[in-house]
Amino acid sequence: MRHLIGSVVFAAVIAAVALFIDNEFYLRTLFMICVYFLCAAGMNVLLGFAGQKSLGQAGLFAAGAYAVAMLTTRFEVGPWLSLLLACGVSAVFGILIAMPSLRVKGPSLAMVTLAFGIVIEKVVTEGSEVFGGAMGIYAIQPLNIGGVPFTMLQWVWFGLGLCLAAHLLLRNLLQGRFGRAFLSLQADEVAAGAVGVAVYRYKVLAFVIAAVTCGLAGALVAQQNQYINSDFINFHLSIFILLLVLFGGSGSLYGPLLGSVTLVIIGALVARWTWIEHFVNGALLLFALYAMPKGLAGVFGSLFRRFGLGHSPGRGAEPGRAASKLPSRSVPQTVAGSLLTADSLNKAFGGVVPAKDVSVNLTVGHIHALIGPNGAGKSTFINMLTGIIRPDRGKVTFLGHDITQQTVHGICGHGVARTFQNLRLFKDLSVRENVLLGQHSRMQNGFVSSLLGLPKALREEAKALQKVNNILQFTGLLQYADAPAGSLAYGLQRRVELARALASEPLLLLLDEPAAGLNPQETAELGQLLVRIRNEGMTILLIEHHMDLVMTISDHVIVLDYGQKIAEGTPSKVQADPRVMEAYLGTSVEAA
Amino acid sequence: MDVYIQTLLSGLAVGGVYALIALGFSITFTTTKTLNFAQGEFIAFGAFIGVTMLLLLSGLASTTTAVPSEAASAWRYPAAVFVAGAVAGLMGILIFLLAVRPFAGKGGMNWVMSTLGFGVMLQSIGLAVWGPAPVMVPSPLGDDVLRIAGAGVRPQELLVLACAILIMVALDLVMRRSRIGKAMMAVAHSPQTASLMGINVSLVMIGAFALSSGLAGVAGVLIAPIASASLFMGMGFALKAFSAAIIGGLNNPRGCIYGGFILGVLESAVGLWQAQWREIVVFGLIILVLAFRPAGLFGQAAVDKV
Repeated sequence: MRHLIGSVVFAAVIAAVALFIDNEFYLRTLFMICVYFLCAAGMNVLLGFAGQKSLGQAGLFAAGAYAVAMLTTRFEVGPWLSLLLACGVSAVFGILIAMPSLRVKGPSLAMVTLAFGIVIEKVVTEGSEVFGGAMGIYAIQPLNIGGVPFTMLQWVWFGLGLCLAAHLLLRNLLQGRFGRAFLSLQADEVAAGAVGVAVYRYKVLAFVIAAVTCGLAGALVAQQNQYINSDFINFHLSIFILLLVLFGGSGSLYGPLLGSVTLVIIGALVARWTWIEHFVNGALLLFALYAMPKGLAGVFGSLFRRFGLGHSPGRGAEPGRAASKLPSRSVPQTVAGSLLTADSLNKAFGGVVPAKDVSVNLTVGHIHALIGPNGAGKSTFINMLTGIIRPDRGKVTFLGHDITQQTVHGICGHGVARTFQNLRLFKDLSVRENVLLGQHSRMQNGFVSSLLGLPKALREEAKALQKVNNILQFTGLLQYADAPAGSLAYGLQRRVELARALASEPLLLLLDEPAAGLNPQETAELGQLLVRIRNEGMTILLIEHHMDLVMTISDHVIVLDYGQKIAEGTPSKVQADPRVMEAYLGTSVEAA
Repeated sequence: MDVYIQTLLSGLAVGGVYALIALGFSITFTTTKTLNFAQGEFIAFGAFIGVTMLLLLSGLASTTTAVPSEAASAWRYPAAVFVAGAVAGLMGILIFLLAVRPFAGKGGMNWVMSTLGFGVMLQSIGLAVWGPAPVMVPSPLGDDVLRIAGAGVRPQELLVLACAILIMVALDLVMRRSRIGKAMMAVAHSPQTASLMGINVSLVMIGAFALSSGLAGVAGVLIAPIASASLFMGMGFALKAFSAAIIGGLNNPRGCIYGGFILGVLESAVGLWQAQWREIVVFGLIILVLAFRPAGLFGQAAVDKV
């Protein structure tokens, strides 16, 4: 609430100051700051939060600008409606540019977005019949009130209003479930999927948000100038939009503001010499990456902290009452005993066959252990259960649903959670945020309620925080809640991953070597923790090499060797099995 | 019929240039897991350094919009190619030290943006030095059209093709046979292990960037007589060369070469039909390849072990 009032007052003060500026150039500069703020605010979601390098934002700017130009001049649509439709058109282009991100990652995706920007630039330059080429489109209808076109001052006010709205809405979105999901994409897509984030959908959403704000900015420029030509749309615009975010502070809510104000002013100072302007932008880009990786926002932030002006971001319920109950969902009553059934799963990677007709049945409320020599196919088995690897043949049934072909996040939503053999924490996020991401699939608030900050979103967030506090208490991590997960000791990081998995309130918990790298005492503590989790009603399947741990806590042991199940049963029965001894010791019992 | 031969040959010539640049992408990608997003500026700089050399060597004024044909004759053109390659190579070392090494190997791919920023700076410097106007560059073999089986072929196209093939064969031999080549392959597979085996990894990486940028510079001079030198020429070439690398598989140098030729011929063939559709078709093809074979036609998919 304080933030809301603060932002409104800030915008109102600028609006009032603008009232006393009668220099057209200064007003225009102010308007351009607003325009670029909009670009930067959306781009910050895409680049700073979702971590997607889009180098073709000029193409989206063009989509908005040309949409408004064609709608008002060719189709005689009113200027207000055109502005709205232009946002829609840009959104469509945003989906278009996001599509390759399904298949390509990293530098190739960056190159594809670069090509997208260039293609749009080519299209508007070459397609002179439709887009006017370098001649451009004239007589674009400006926004008006009662038929009277906006004055420059009104443009500034309108721009300020849009910026205020964009800032407040995106802040709502980014501070909760959606912001965390975007950050998780940047950190680790596999882990993001495993905690229930619909990776591809969120990527597209980030692209669309950036597209809409960029398109809106383009439309505003076209309407204010009442003219657009292909010179507006060039590679340097894409770079400038990138620079706005990086220089201002990528991933910071105030970065776009700082970036747009400083860079537009710097640009206005050197605009007389085009090549110097571009040179300065290139140099600033390098400088920002080199000297201030968190941008101006990061610099100011650390200054504030040094002089004790900032406040620590302590949030969440105060520790006090010991709540050792885990949040959980109830097992549907229809299931009699069997929680998950894997039916003759097969998988081959070339000549390596990590799964050959593996059938497993997991019982509700049991701790199952999956053991076997290295390379037996244990991790592959868990990967197949969680949808990360698709089996070549076979079927996985969970609570009567066939989940063989489901998405990773869909399987998580059904109530299957996992940890990874090689830790996959979101290292830069705090322990609490990591565990909150585990809650992602359990939270009900959708895009609209998060964007508008509706009571439902606030309620869900508070509920999730409460549950996460319980989980942190249950796992003994509460004192580390605000530390970056990557800064903790190895054993604690393992526990954070377990807590994150618990936060999705799973019915089945799959643990891939949870005791790897732990010392004997930590291993014993882990064993106790697992038993407590089982006593809360969760079913566990763990891969483990610590045999004493496996044999003390398991109800049921499954042994894999060369992709085949060679034995299963109670710990004592498995220990006595000659084939298991052979697999582990390499000799048959008779020979020994 | 002769039209097709003509199309094929000019496609192969441009394809050879794409292949050289694509090979450059592949070299840095395999050794450092980074790409030079300013490769386009290196191509344009190569072309203009070549132009400047031709003018200097023949004692002419340093600014002009067309280089007279006698300036490119005899030994001057090879010298210009060599100098452009060498200067671009040195610039490659610079970009590696300033914009790539600080960010390579860390998360976040900041090197994408830093090399882009470096490229923007280069382009503005180029504009300040040479101005925005394109410069016509003569071919050392003259501009008379040759007749091969009835098809008209520009001699420069044959020269480009021959040079490209020569350079690529030489590189392929060096990569496969020599100690340096083996060191580069070792670094490509695993920098850590390579350094444990006593290979100077950062030297190999610097060398990779110098080589990659040098190739781009040479490509610029080779193509200049066909496309004319312009500071804005680079982006298109770099993007198409990258597309070629994608088609061939970024981690497969030979694949990149095939990809370059495929793309060149395809583009040339589309140009025969509808010249203004060339770029759209080329980029459309890339998206198709990426959709069905993200690792390229000749590349191997990277396995993300979970």
